[in-house]
Amino acid sequence: MTQKTVTNSQITEVRPTDPAASDDVIRVIGLHKHYDRVAAVQGVDFSVRRGEVFGLIGPDGAGKTTTFHILGGVMEATAGDVQVLGQPPRDARLKIGYLTQQFSLYLDLSIDENLRYVGGLRQVPDRQFSERREKYLRLMNLEKFGDRLAGELSGGMKQKLALCCALVSQPQVLLLDEPTTGVDPVSRREFWDVLAALSSEEGVTIVVATPYLDEAERCNRVALMYDGQIQQIGTPAELRNSLGLHRLEVHTPQLQAAEQVLTTLSESDAIVDVQTFGDRLDVLVSDPQTGESQVRELFRQNHLQADTIELAEPTLENVFVTRLRQQGSAPEFFEFPRSRGGNRNVTTGSSSDFAIYSHNLNRSFGSFRAVKNVNVEVRYGEIFGLLGANGAGKTTTIKMLCGLLPISSGDISLGGERGNLRSSELRRRIGYMSQKFTLYDDLTILQNLEFYSGVYGVPRRLRREKIDWVIATCGLDGRETMLTGQLPGGWKQRVAFGASVMHEPDILFLDEPTSGVDPLARRQFWKLINDFARNGTAVLVTTHYLEEAEQCNRMSFMVAGEIVTEGSPSQIKASQPGQLIEVVIDQTQAASNLLKQQMESWRVSIFADRLHIVLDDPDRDIPIVRSLLKSANLTIHSLRPIPFSLEDAFIGVVQRLAQSATPEEP
Amino acid sequence: MKRILAQCTKELAQFRRDRLTLALAFILPVMTLFIFGFAIRLEAKNIAIVVQDFDRSNLSRRYTEGLYQTNQFVPAQWSGDDPMQDALDRGIAKAAVIIPPDFSRGIAAGKTSQLQVLIDGTDVNNARVIKNSIQAFTRSFLQDQNLMSGTSKITPRLRLWFNPGRRESLYIVPGVFGVILAIYPSLLAALAMSREKEQGTILQAYASSISAAELLLGKCLAYLVVGIGQAIFVIGLGCAIFRIWFVGDPSPFLIGTGIFLIASIMFGLLIGVRANNRSVAVQGVATAGFLLALLLSGFIYPLSNIPFPLSLVTNIVPARYFIEISRDAFVRGTGWEGVWVAQVCLVVLAFVLFNIARRILGRMQLPG
Repeated sequence: MTQKTVTNSQITEVRPTDPAASDDVIRVIGLHKHYDRVAAVQGVDFSVRRGEVFGLIGPDGAGKTTTFHILGGVMEATAGDVQVLGQPPRDARLKIGYLTQQFSLYLDLSIDENLRYVGGLRQVPDRQFSERREKYLRLMNLEKFGDRLAGELSGGMKQKLALCCALVSQPQVLLLDEPTTGVDPVSRREFWDVLAALSSEEGVTIVVATPYLDEAERCNRVALMYDGQIQQIGTPAELRNSLGLHRLEVHTPQLQAAEQVLTTLSESDAIVDVQTFGDRLDVLVSDPQTGESQVRELFRQNHLQADTIELAEPTLENVFVTRLRQQGSAPEFFEFPRSRGGNRNVTTGSSSDFAIYSHNLNRSFGSFRAVKNVNVEVRYGEIFGLLGANGAGKTTTIKMLCGLLPISSGDISLGGERGNLRSSELRRRIGYMSQKFTLYDDLTILQNLEFYSGVYGVPRRLRREKIDWVIATCGLDGRETMLTGQLPGGWKQRVAFGASVMHEPDILFLDEPTSGVDPLARRQFWKLINDFARNGTAVLVTTHYLEEAEQCNRMSFMVAGEIVTEGSPSQIKASQPGQLIEVVIDQTQAASNLLKQQMESWRVSIFADRLHIVLDDPDRDIPIVRSLLKSANLTIHSLRPIPFSLEDAFIGVVQRLAQSATPEEP
Repeated sequence: MKRILAQCTKELAQFRRDRLTLALAFILPVMTLFIFGFAIRLEAKNIAIVVQDFDRSNLSRRYTEGLYQTNQFVPAQWSGDDPMQDALDRGIAKAAVIIPPDFSRGIAAGKTSQLQVLIDGTDVNNARVIKNSIQAFTRSFLQDQNLMSGTSKITPRLRLWFNPGRRESLYIVPGVFGVILAIYPSLLAALAMSREKEQGTILQAYASSISAAELLLGKCLAYLVVGIGQAIFVIGLGCAIFRIWFVGDPSPFLIGTGIFLIASIMFGLLIGVRANNRSVAVQGVATAGFLLALLLSGFIYPLSNIPFPLSLVTNIVPARYFIEISRDAFVRGTGWEGVWVAQVCLVVLAFVLFNIARRILGRMQLPG
């Protein structure tokens, strides 16, 4: 490794949280926007300081994109005062970089051509253009692909290129509207590392909208937006504290019974919320001691076994969901009208009873091996997650498992059937929701549901009831006759899910079911999925949103067509070598730059005002880190071990694999 | 200017990349050239007729033979005994000539004789042509046979100017150039504009400070380059295949082509600005462009035949002026003197279309 000296310019840092820096780059006062009769934004006030990363978080239709359009100067506000860099946004457009929600690239142009076009539009002088082109392509690791067409890049690379395009005119403000939707975890991390560097090293002010609440943790400040209004603004820590609640992670083998007991039998208001994950319950309590003792008491009374109860910080998801519940906007849960009473024997263990089974499954496209020796075993009543980045082979695997794609070699059994996976009898027992589910945009919601209930052979007399259930669950009562194309993405996903389960399948395949779905709806989604699993349905779900994978009972990580790790969420996290360390330090960016010279760069990431560092041998490495930081005159305020998230685990696995595949000098 | 060029280079790069539009730009125009150039025939030739001769005299036989010798009529297969109406009903003949038994006797007696001519009027144009031909032939037949009562004092000597051989391609092909250059460049421009709206990339232009005029001019410049390529290709091919060439000064035609291309591209951009997706844009250009360029441009149907108030519409069809210029260049050859008005009209139209499109794009913002 080449030793670089840390120059002064790398250490000078614009401190985003410095209260003295009152120079607000963005100031929004009383912003309103009405489309005809619909009010999209109703009285929004906020300001963003120079060099700050400001997150805008909210469900679909909260008014985030409208706010971005107005900030970007491409839309007129109905009322209110909006100032960007002291000017109306329209006049400041050349100093603003704007990444729109749809890909803002020309997919039929190469990377260079895309950059050149933006450079020309924004009148960047030639010399500066080639300088910046070099610099940012290198920053995003794209410098080798100059001639590649944008359409041939992966989702993560596309977004990095879009960011490059926005940066070519060296904007002082970056507006990013859901920049990481459809981007795999590794690229997502890298993308955020770049954002952190831009804000601290170049003083770029960044406003970002995201549906992922783990990303919100990486913002300096966050605004929760709902129904066209901002409900709350603060740093992630402030938001968590303002909730005044504590989170207990309860590990128990009897999840379903425990959830029931905790939600229905708890008399005091000590227990505020209970959420089921793949192998644990999250219980929100107002006081940690009384909360824990109450949980233990309830477990004892009902003869339930609690393995461990751990106290943890509430997540931003908790904040978000609790706040929205207070608004009374949580989607209601309706019991599915079961007509077959599904429940088969969930607990039998013999291998012939696997709902989905594959052994040494392979699939090649020409010389490219998309899936290599994949083994999957899913029992009835189990939720199994297939995780991995884009192009890891998840969709190919799922298509083979449900018989849509012929296999190259290997064994498959589906619902006990080995030979003909496409028999109509078997297909009637299977539900499949594909990545881009084909609801017909030009049919009404009702017509779509009637069509699918017919296709899946739901008995005529039951159809009405099931369709009513889907519509009620989606909160679309009275809007059944709306054209499906007019629904926002997240709602469409919910209708699509409803359409794929109306026939009460024994086996359910869900391919990226929740992409583009907001946190609140996502919760309801998983509640529904859990409900089906408890009634004996085997569920196989793919996702690259790893926070969500916590909901799975068991899961496999796929990398480049192979399964690299499998187990329950806790097992996977526990099997990670080393320890994750959170460091609060003066100059986060300088510290991160320094550490990245000493260890692989994936081990260090910036989370707002703190650093996350992965250390293989904490006892040996922590003193090294301490002395390294001290030698650069950086003051450590706190240093503590924190648990791995699934995303940390995934990134660790992927990076270690890449490292062993291409051994570099130490 | 830099932004216009940036926009233009980008459009050309995209155009080059997309094989489908590339094919659209060059193959479809050639097909149109062939279809229109070869298929459209306005003159009536080889019309099937039947003659029922009840007279069976020398004179009637000479009349019948003369009729067939005009090259315009051919005898249809028909047994002489069946009723003539059936031949028309079944579409075997377009006209029937019935010569009554007293035909030659009446003429010999110096009386006026009568012929019955039945013409299929389904195709009004053709029917008129048949009627005129039979009348003209009958008159000349009478003259030849010296049967005219009273010799006429005036004999017109007709001479056809500009197209003495009455070559049809000379009339059709310069018009086809107009139709092709009216439709295809505008189609490409409309696609390029609506695609940006469909895919949301237009927001990038909105978010930069490029003005509506610059955006339109950039796109126009790119498709002008493409359009000039199309024009050279199609006109060159048309001239070679149909053996036509400039008569007189070609400069009004060359300049007129440039202006006309700009006008068609502006028309396409205008449609693209209004349409929110590509299929609407294609339909818009196909319907509006094709109808106007084919029917109201004087390509086939003379402008003077179009009734008021529809005739007013023809004044705003750019193809009309270009066809005028094109026919002048290849057939008449009067040069600037004859076509400067048409050139000015094209410039005005292009400018008006540009301004409407610019007005619609307005402040380069999303609609409220």
